[in-house]
Amino acid sequence: MDTTLTEEEGMIREIARRFLEAECPPKLVRAMEKDPLGYPPALWKQAAELGWQGMSLPEQYGGSALPLVYLGLVMEEVGRALAPLPLLCTVVTARAIASAGPGVMRTAILPGVAAGDTVLTWAFSERDPRLLAETVKMGAVADGDSYVLNGAKMFVENFVVADHCLVACRTAPASAGNAGLTLFLVDTKSAGLSQVPLVTLAKDKVSEVIFTNVRVPKSSMVGELHQGAPIIERLLEEATALLCAQMLGATRKDSEMAVEWAKYRKAFNQPIAAFQSIQHMCADMLLWIDGGNLLTYEALWKMDQGFSGSVEASQAKAFCNEKCEAVVRICQGIHGGIGFMMEFDLQLWYRRVCTWTMRLGTAYEHRAKVANALLDHPGQVILGRPVPVTENA
Amino acid sequence: MDFGYSADQEALRWEVRSFISAHMTDAVRAEMDELSEGFGVSPGRHSGGLINGLFKKIGARGWLGISYPKEYGGQGGDRLTQYIVEEEFARVNISLGLGGSGAPAILAAGTEEQRRHFVPKLISGEYSFALGFTEPHAGADLASLQCRAVRDGDEYVINGQKMYTSSAHMATHIYLMARTNPNLPKHQGISIFLFPMDTPGITVRPLWTIQNDPPAPIGTTYGTPRTNETFFDNVRIPASCMLGKENEGWRVGAMGLNLDRVGAARYLISVRRDEDIVNFVKQNSFDGYSPARDPAIRDKIAELWIEAQVCRLMTMRSMSIVEHGGNFTYEGAAEKIWAPEHGVRTTEAISQMLGPYGQLLNGSAHAVERGVFAHNLMGAFQSGINHGSTQVMRDQVARRGLDMPRK
Repeated sequence: MDTTLTEEEGMIREIARRFLEAECPPKLVRAMEKDPLGYPPALWKQAAELGWQGMSLPEQYGGSALPLVYLGLVMEEVGRALAPLPLLCTVVTARAIASAGPGVMRTAILPGVAAGDTVLTWAFSERDPRLLAETVKMGAVADGDSYVLNGAKMFVENFVVADHCLVACRTAPASAGNAGLTLFLVDTKSAGLSQVPLVTLAKDKVSEVIFTNVRVPKSSMVGELHQGAPIIERLLEEATALLCAQMLGATRKDSEMAVEWAKYRKAFNQPIAAFQSIQHMCADMLLWIDGGNLLTYEALWKMDQGFSGSVEASQAKAFCNEKCEAVVRICQGIHGGIGFMMEFDLQLWYRRVCTWTMRLGTAYEHRAKVANALLDHPGQVILGRPVPVTENA
Repeated sequence: MDFGYSADQEALRWEVRSFISAHMTDAVRAEMDELSEGFGVSPGRHSGGLINGLFKKIGARGWLGISYPKEYGGQGGDRLTQYIVEEEFARVNISLGLGGSGAPAILAAGTEEQRRHFVPKLISGEYSFALGFTEPHAGADLASLQCRAVRDGDEYVINGQKMYTSSAHMATHIYLMARTNPNLPKHQGISIFLFPMDTPGITVRPLWTIQNDPPAPIGTTYGTPRTNETFFDNVRIPASCMLGKENEGWRVGAMGLNLDRVGAARYLISVRRDEDIVNFVKQNSFDGYSPARDPAIRDKIAELWIEAQVCRLMTMRSMSIVEHGGNFTYEGAAEKIWAPEHGVRTTEAISQMLGPYGQLLNGSAHAVERGVFAHNLMGAFQSGINHGSTQVMRDQVARRGLDMPRK
């Protein structure tokens, strides 16, 4: 048990921070809001040179096989700089392929990811936005050596720039112990695919993706037929915890700007930072961000040990959704009028953090998962031990 | 970062648990109920034969003063080991921690003689301190304290009054903060003295808390029925009773308090309610109504459980920093804000989960869990007041953690 960073972890964070401070100023963030791709390919390539895309991929495919905790540190910095990179959706999809995709697919896709030549994304939600297997209705029907996909996926991130999209489809009705889902890695240039751009608070690239008789080869299946649910659930857990890291990085930066502003801004003949009302808000912000950090890294660490991090990721996301939102709103308050002027950079952080709180599960959804783990399984719970209660805990 | 326990640490936890299940007999529990004064038991404080026998066995296992150096009666272990043992015992209302004991400050600031004299006996429970900090007109602004210590040859003469000297009626010694120089700025004229409670001139008068009638059940958060005010009337003590240097008592006292805020006890008194309510609603229903199936209650329980994890992890963070030999800037204060305020949120939420059953005190017909949840409503908020209020802690976080100015 040691919550402090090792020297190596500290270095990873430091290198990422210096790189993004130099290469990703707010000007670039603003430019990408209006850019047709929404990300700078040159920066993406530089990120690959630092090893970010391949950081948590197996070495045989060009990755460095480092723990998710390390990737979390990078995501924190990506969030801090609001770096407009399709990193999160690419790495979690790549990791799903690495763990469950056929060998040929791994060899074909993953080295390109690690090299920064490939962008990946994933598609799960449909009209019902809850991240539950039962909400997936889109069908995939076998036809010879192919499957034919029909339906629509919502809230697909970076689809417009992705080379491949991992799609959750219904191939069987849900039954006891089997959700009936199958995953396919779909080439985004396939015939029958179209997308409707969604206009988001973060002004990033999110699409509704419509599948009209999209034909994919059987070899594009990730995992076994009808066995896709555990794979996509693991992807969601990892993405959830990594998104928390990204949110926290952005939120911490936002709070640092507010504290600096409070020290600079004078009212009633003193810096407003000397008012206790401001100090106590800032103290709370620091504690909330620290709390979110501890929850998030515990979740990532647990996944690194080969355990499910489902409950821990839900703990982190439920907490971060509410606390990060509160922090960035308080930071707006500390800044006063200037904070919501378009030309002032603070709004860039505010809009993104708010957006991320709404993705990958609401506080209510995640608390429902935690409540299930606590209340719907037998055994006495003990704080500090895993829930649901296991036999030897 | 490493969020796990080693195999040795896990084995130790199991050893402690099996010890507890073997030794916490109904007779021991009954004696604890009788003598605990609503809180719990700790070494040396209680007259019960079974409890003292139990503490002897705990001592024989090497589970007292685990993280203290061997030459001072400890085991030379690390804080995490101590934490694991403390945590398991705290769950059954046995306090092994030395939080509030003065031992950390004596180790840090005491003379060699003081260390050898006090620390082993504090660990064994032979000695205990009443904390003489607060005064009628010095609470949050402790540095404005007025209790005087005047040098007279090889002695000091103490005159003044201390408030909320909680265990003064049981303690063997007092850990007293007094003013030695009224002409210096208020933080600079303070010294600390350690001396026996039976020194002539000390009078202890009880102050009864809201937990006294009916007495709180064991395990209540701040279920203590009694605290005290203590008067010092020309109390003469040898000059060698001073801890640290003259007029440097503020720094010594602050250091002791900071170290006292770290450990299992502080966090567990605030979070064990989360376990209690989860396990209670899982096992109980009211004429077919199960709170565990109520969607609003489920959401609230999950929210509280998540907050409790934050409390736990903040404690782990403080211990990690100490283990690396570092000092807190704001992390101890952070823990002291989060855990007590969380404890209050949980306690209040539980009262809304139990509704009218939540009001029933110890001894009432139909009381839930002997009224512990109702008694917690009278105790949980005390955790945010004692040892530095959460508002004072927020000042510290802002100033030390964020470098925000006083003016």
